[in-house]
Amino acid sequence: MTGKILRKPQAVIGLLMMLAVMIAVIYAPHLAPNDPNKVNIMIKFAEPSQQYPLGTDDMGRCIASRLIYGARISMSIALPTIAAIAVISVLLATVCAYIGGIVDKMFVIISNIFMALPPFLVAMTLVGIFESKALSIVVSIVIAMWVWNAQVVRTYVLREKSKPYIITCRMSGCSEIRIIMKHIIPNIFPHLLVLYSTGLSGVIIMISSYAFLGMGLETGTAEWGAMLVNANKLIFSHPELILYPGLCILFAAAGFNLFGEALRDICDPREG
Amino acid sequence: MIKRIVSRLIMLTVVLLGVTLLTFFYTSLSPVDAGQALAVRRYTRPTAEQITEVRHELGLDKPFAQQYISWLGKAIKGDFGNSYNTGKPIIDELTASLKPTVTLAFISLLFTALLSIPLGVLSASRKGGFADKTIYLFGIVCMSVPNYWIGFMLMLVFAVQLPLFSIMGADDLKDYVLPSLAIAIPTASANIRVFRSSLLEGYNSDFVMYARARGISERKIAGMVSRYALPPLVTLLGQSFGFTIAGSAMIEFVFSIPGVGSMLVTALGSRDTVTINACVLVIAVIFVAVNFLAEVINTILNPKERAYDR
Repeated sequence: MTGKILRKPQAVIGLLMMLAVMIAVIYAPHLAPNDPNKVNIMIKFAEPSQQYPLGTDDMGRCIASRLIYGARISMSIALPTIAAIAVISVLLATVCAYIGGIVDKMFVIISNIFMALPPFLVAMTLVGIFESKALSIVVSIVIAMWVWNAQVVRTYVLREKSKPYIITCRMSGCSEIRIIMKHIIPNIFPHLLVLYSTGLSGVIIMISSYAFLGMGLETGTAEWGAMLVNANKLIFSHPELILYPGLCILFAAAGFNLFGEALRDICDPREG
Repeated sequence: MIKRIVSRLIMLTVVLLGVTLLTFFYTSLSPVDAGQALAVRRYTRPTAEQITEVRHELGLDKPFAQQYISWLGKAIKGDFGNSYNTGKPIIDELTASLKPTVTLAFISLLFTALLSIPLGVLSASRKGGFADKTIYLFGIVCMSVPNYWIGFMLMLVFAVQLPLFSIMGADDLKDYVLPSLAIAIPTASANIRVFRSSLLEGYNSDFVMYARARGISERKIAGMVSRYALPPLVTLLGQSFGFTIAGSAMIEFVFSIPGVGSMLVTALGSRDTVTINACVLVIAVIFVAVNFLAEVINTILNPKERAYDR
């Protein structure tokens, strides 16, 4: 598997982009040339220079530093979100699909109800349910997205469950838990990786949309979506302020998408 | 086929009832009390009695189940009550703001179909070739950016650099071109891959080999394959229509369109729960209805599914 991934250029590029984003997340204080939140009206809209590699914004804040810290904020919300979605959807879908019968039928009905509400709508309605804004975003996206992922996981489990080797396992006396944990989940794992890798890019975009609507974090936070709202007023005079945060979202999301899609080709060679 | 549609209709009713309950439950989760919010707006610094009075007036002191049932009873008749914000009937504002949003959703649906179908066919027929690879890469790029950012970029190029379109308002159909494209481009990118892979699956299936063996012309085969490959795309198109209405807030903000998305965002900002409930419910009903319509179209398109019912 690892060998196949490393031999596919698209997967390697995706991995490198993911790595670059993670480096920006971890080493933001070392990489950023300035304090991202330091306001200095005297130097607003400064040209790019040694001190300010991409210039400054309308409040004289260093754009490059804000973009680097933006990665930290996006990922610190996106990673726990996708982790929670993964745990909930895999757990529920695997158990329900594996037991089958009435349990699975109930699961289908309930997930149909949940899927009747578009995810972004749910997420918007739920924002602000907790004191902590970051926690609200995580929980609201998890509630909005779990069912869509669970539905996909369910089809994987159903497909895997009907394979002959599972019947053999049962005949040889494997316990149900052991079949799920040692056989089904490891076998659908590559598919899950595809699902959550591409899902993560969706979550990154969703977080930026939140901030863009002013429903996300505190105003003035160095977040990509929030920077875009701010730049909205300046589209005529300083279009570059719109360009940069968008390119950052693109870079972060495309890394996970490239890797996820490459992995999909490896898992399902006949579709490629 | 009729039996199938009837059983789907029953399921649909269950889903819709569930949706009303979920909607009501989601808005009640908010820690901000709507009664208090309204009292603050009315009296600036309300006393405890005034808050209780407002809560009583809105019926917020009743148990959850009772509130839900009385709300549902009115909502079915199209009576969503008056907005806490403006005091006017919500249904009026809602119908007015649905018009631009639904127009936006229809035009983006059209653009999405116009982009996905030919490009999907092109990449499937030139599998592994230059066109296929370009479409693939372009698709990944477009799926990795928020649609409102594409909106900004389109605006920068076609309204600021080349003044072909106006940058705001929704007065005539021309104003909808850029916002609809901004929605259609990322949606189409996702659809193209699905359509491409179902086309390829169609070409690899036995009926095509049989048709070729019988000497049926490639053109007829192409027709058969696209009929085979269309259902997943129809489902996706239906779904994207609903997603567009639900996620229109960002695009409406960028292009200053007074639609249901911006109405919802305003209502969310002021915890105007009755308006939030009304917007969410109407969007969900549209979403469910369009998905159902897509399913009906698929049943008509796909003779195999019809055959199962006999």
